[in-house]
Amino acid sequence: MAGRNRLFVRRRDGRIEIRLNDAGRSVARDAFGHVVAAEREVEHDWHTSLSAPIDPSTDHDDPTAMLTRQLEIATNAELALMTVDEAYLTDAEAWVWLTTLQVALRATALSTGVLDEERLETASDEITDRIRILQQFLFELAELF
Amino acid sequence: MPSVKPLRTTSTETVSDTQSSTVTKRRWLVVVWNDPVTPMSVVVVIFKKIFGYSNNKATQLMMTVHHEGRAVVWSGARDRAESYCVKLQVAGLHCTMEQE
Repeated sequence: MAGRNRLFVRRRDGRIEIRLNDAGRSVARDAFGHVVAAEREVEHDWHTSLSAPIDPSTDHDDPTAMLTRQLEIATNAELALMTVDEAYLTDAEAWVWLTTLQVALRATALSTGVLDEERLETASDEITDRIRILQQFLFELAELF
Repeated sequence: MPSVKPLRTTSTETVSDTQSSTVTKRRWLVVVWNDPVTPMSVVVVIFKKIFGYSNNKATQLMMTVHHEGRAVVWSGARDRAESYCVKLQVAGLHCTMEQE
């Protein structure tokens, strides 16, 4: 859209420029930090959403698959956290931002009971704002791929 | 958006076929479920990246998820289905696997 202030811009050299202000970076840092914490702490509000069933027809998922998921989500979130103050991202880093923000978005929704559109519409302003900001980051990152 | 959810159940059913020497292997399905917050464009990008689908195919699958509550996005051998399901969950989508 012409004249729109983009949050992420692809440069001619292929790098992705982050144009988030301090508040925006703080939101991203908070989201990434919560994903890292949720993978480590079973009591974290987001832990359940990060350990959803893979094959619901069995009592227990394959431990190797569960470990792979845990490691990949944690590694992605840690890399995202390490790059949160950078001016530019590579494609791989931007992908890690996108997936970690998406994990954070769904975990935010699930942990606050936003399970369908009806409950999204009746959610508090605080929860709705948090969800809308993460969605905005995701909209813009998705446009880069 | 539909609130259809997969339930974890204990499977006690066994299938045996002693009459036939030909056993048809049922495929495993990778199922992506709708949710009220994930942006549509993010779902499309994730399908393209993980499966290498065209923009049209990825968009069609996303629309199926959106309108029907779920879509089978891949089917085949169990190990690969599990691997794709993990990749989709790592990307933040609501995904499960099930047998055909």
